[in-house]
Amino acid sequence: MPLLFSILEFGSALERWLAQDAATVQAARYAGELGGDAPELRRFLGDQLRSAGIDPDRVSVDVAPSRVGWREPIQVSVSSAYPVSIPFLFSTTLPLRSSAISRGEVNR
Amino acid sequence: MVTTLVLAPLLLVALAGVLQLGALRAAAARVRAAADLATLVAVNDQDDAELARSGSLRLSADAVDVAREYFARELELSSSLLDSSAAEIAAAADLAAYPTAPAYDTRTGARYDRPTVRISASVPVRTPIFGALVLRPVTTIEVLSVSSPR
Repeated sequence: MPLLFSILEFGSALERWLAQDAATVQAARYAGELGGDAPELRRFLGDQLRSAGIDPDRVSVDVAPSRVGWREPIQVSVSSAYPVSIPFLFSTTLPLRSSAISRGEVNR
Repeated sequence: MVTTLVLAPLLLVALAGVLQLGALRAAAARVRAAADLATLVAVNDQDDAELARSGSLRLSADAVDVAREYFARELELSSSLLDSSAAEIAAAADLAAYPTAPAYDTRTGARYDRPTVRISASVPVRTPIFGALVLRPVTTIEVLSVSSPR
C-alpha cells in the first residue's frame, strides 16, 4: 500500500513540477517582451499556473532584474512546496523550483 | 506474509524506476525548453539596419553566438541534473543560422522559408537510480530546436 501511494504521490509531484516549469518558461518569454516585472506578467503567470491546477497564491515568484533594457537577460524563478503524504511511512513537502532566462525586447 | 516479503524488493525496484523515469521526463522537458528559448532569443534579435533599409526580416550577425550563450544560461539553471557543465554542452552543440530564405538545413534536410536559427545538441543527464539498477548512470537526451520570425 505505501509503495502504491508513493508511485501516485511522486508521479503527481512530477506532473506539477513539469507544469510549473512550462508556466515559468512562458513567463520568462513574456517578461522579456514586457522588459521586466509588471502586473501583466503576474496575471499571465497566475493564469498559467491556475490552468495547470496550481494555486498562484501558494507560489513564490521572483523576477530579476525587475526591469531590463534591450538585449539584457531577465530571469524568472518560481518556487512552491508540494505536500507528499505516504500512508504508514511519512509526510513531507517537496520543494519545486523552476527558472528560465529570456532577453529584454523593449528598446527604452 | 511470504508473498509480501518476496514482492517487496520487486515493488521497490518498480518504484525507483518510476521515479527515475519521471525525473528523466522532467529533465528532457527542461532541456527542450532551454533549446527553444535560446533559439527564440536569437531569432528575436533582428538585423535592425536591414529591417530599416528593406523592411525584410533578417537575423542579426551574432545570432549563433546569442543562441549558444542563452542555451548555456538556460542549461546552467538545471546544472544539478546534467552530467557535464552547461558551458561544455553548449559549446559542443551544433548551431546554425540561416539568415536568408529559402534555405536548406545541411543537417536535417529541412527547407526554411524564413530566416531560421537551429540548435541540435546531445545533453547528458544523470540517472543515478538507473545506474544502481545496473542500467546506464547517464542518459543522453537529443534535442533539436528550430525558430523563425513571423
